[in-house]
Amino acid sequence: MKSLILKDFYNISHNAKSMFLILLVFAVAFLPTSGVQGYIFTCAILCSMMIVTTFSFDEHSNWPLYAMVMPVSKKDIVAGKYFVLFAFSLIGIIFGLVVGTAGNVIAESFSRPPEEIASISPLLSALLALSFSTVFGSISIPLAIRFGTEKGRILVLASFFIPAGICYAAYRLLTALGINITEDFITALLYASPIPALLWNYIMYKLSCALFLKKEL
Amino acid sequence: MTDAILQIDHLSKQYPGFRLDDVSFSIPKGSIMGLIGENGAGKSTTIKAILDLIKKDGGHVSFWGQELSSSKQIKEDIGVVFDGINFYETLTPAKIGKISESAYMQWNKKSYQDFLNRFQLPANKEIKSFSKGMKTKLCIAAALSHSPKLLILDEATSGLDPVMRDDILDVFLEFVQDESHSILMSSHISTDLEKVADYITFIHQGKVLFCKSKDELKYRYGIIRCKTELFHTIDQSEILACRKDDYQWNVLVADKEYAKRKYRTAVVDDATIDDILLLYVKGDYKA
Repeated sequence: MKSLILKDFYNISHNAKSMFLILLVFAVAFLPTSGVQGYIFTCAILCSMMIVTTFSFDEHSNWPLYAMVMPVSKKDIVAGKYFVLFAFSLIGIIFGLVVGTAGNVIAESFSRPPEEIASISPLLSALLALSFSTVFGSISIPLAIRFGTEKGRILVLASFFIPAGICYAAYRLLTALGINITEDFITALLYASPIPALLWNYIMYKLSCALFLKKEL
Repeated sequence: MTDAILQIDHLSKQYPGFRLDDVSFSIPKGSIMGLIGENGAGKSTTIKAILDLIKKDGGHVSFWGQELSSSKQIKEDIGVVFDGINFYETLTPAKIGKISESAYMQWNKKSYQDFLNRFQLPANKEIKSFSKGMKTKLCIAAALSHSPKLLILDEATSGLDPVMRDDILDVFLEFVQDESHSILMSSHISTDLEKVADYITFIHQGKVLFCKSKDELKYRYGIIRCKTELFHTIDQSEILACRKDDYQWNVLVADKEYAKRKYRTAVVDDATIDDILLLYVKGDYKA
């Protein structure tokens, strides 16, 4: 599996410069209004979306055909993609945290983000960003396997509404059950977000494996 | 054929409008098997089915008596080269070496470097600037550097100039000097197979028409060139395939010396693989 991860990193390294440049531009645009917290989210989501680009490179070079003659299984290939997704999200978060913290010092001198954003600690924000970006990214993997990156890209955008819809449905359900949603309750939910994210990623991994096992190369 | 490295029995695969039908052949140790047929005959489908890249509808494939899925070690012992490179264009040979090194336990760094030097491939140049020949050489270098015992080549020499093809064919001949090594090589360039193959398997419309030693085809098969009157006197059981040109009949027979003795007024020529392929594809043959 190491070879698969290495291949994705080598492939994407070509795009890394432009991605970091975009993130720097976003720092100027978002830090004054969204703070470090919002910026970490932006970086994590954008970096996690690069997983679709790795599929695009693979399709372009017909890589899966070659990968399958190497001593790796189809499950290894899918697992490799999930590992790369996690790594991309983590890189985005670290970048967001470092650049955001440094940039925030400058931004604070002429603008401050709203109090409700500023009250979230950057570390909690990083944890949340990791959960959300991997959840979003994990949906794009089975879509790219099933439909290819051309169609998949459009569906990925649509699929971003799936977790949002699930969260909204959960909120409505809790309200209907008469559970009082306090600030402490929300904070607890946010801290617990890696657990549903992990579960979601596992389900998506299993789905991706099932789709890839069926796929003929 | 005994001591088979690769044994294929009754392989079948159905696609809309195409069927790979009951394909069987085996590759003995120390030999090169040429898989020949026109475009769309089923050569690549056969190779994909052999490598488990597509699901077989039926049949059985074994490498050294084992199924491919039974052990990762089997894949270590198989080197594969497809038509075209399967690495993204911004990679370099050095990076491909590192990727392959992480994939194969048997990866031999020195051997890979030696191949890069021998093929004059710059280690740190992006492969998008490589010619088709250089890309093929790089694929062959990668395939040979994990010490495989079986090399599977799917149209690996197509699109290369004769000099480049000759260089590459020499590498294949060196590879089979070790008698535990074998090559399965699909190509529609019959001259390449005439140069290196020990056996020829001919696939036409998804079916194996024959699997014979190259020497048998080269030294025993012949083509009777004759007029219609003589054609009608030829024993039907002796005709493998035939085709009528504007002025004469071309009849493929399995024993040219016998044909020369029997049909003294006819011209009996040697049959090249191209001649055989053309007669089967464009003429009539006994199924």
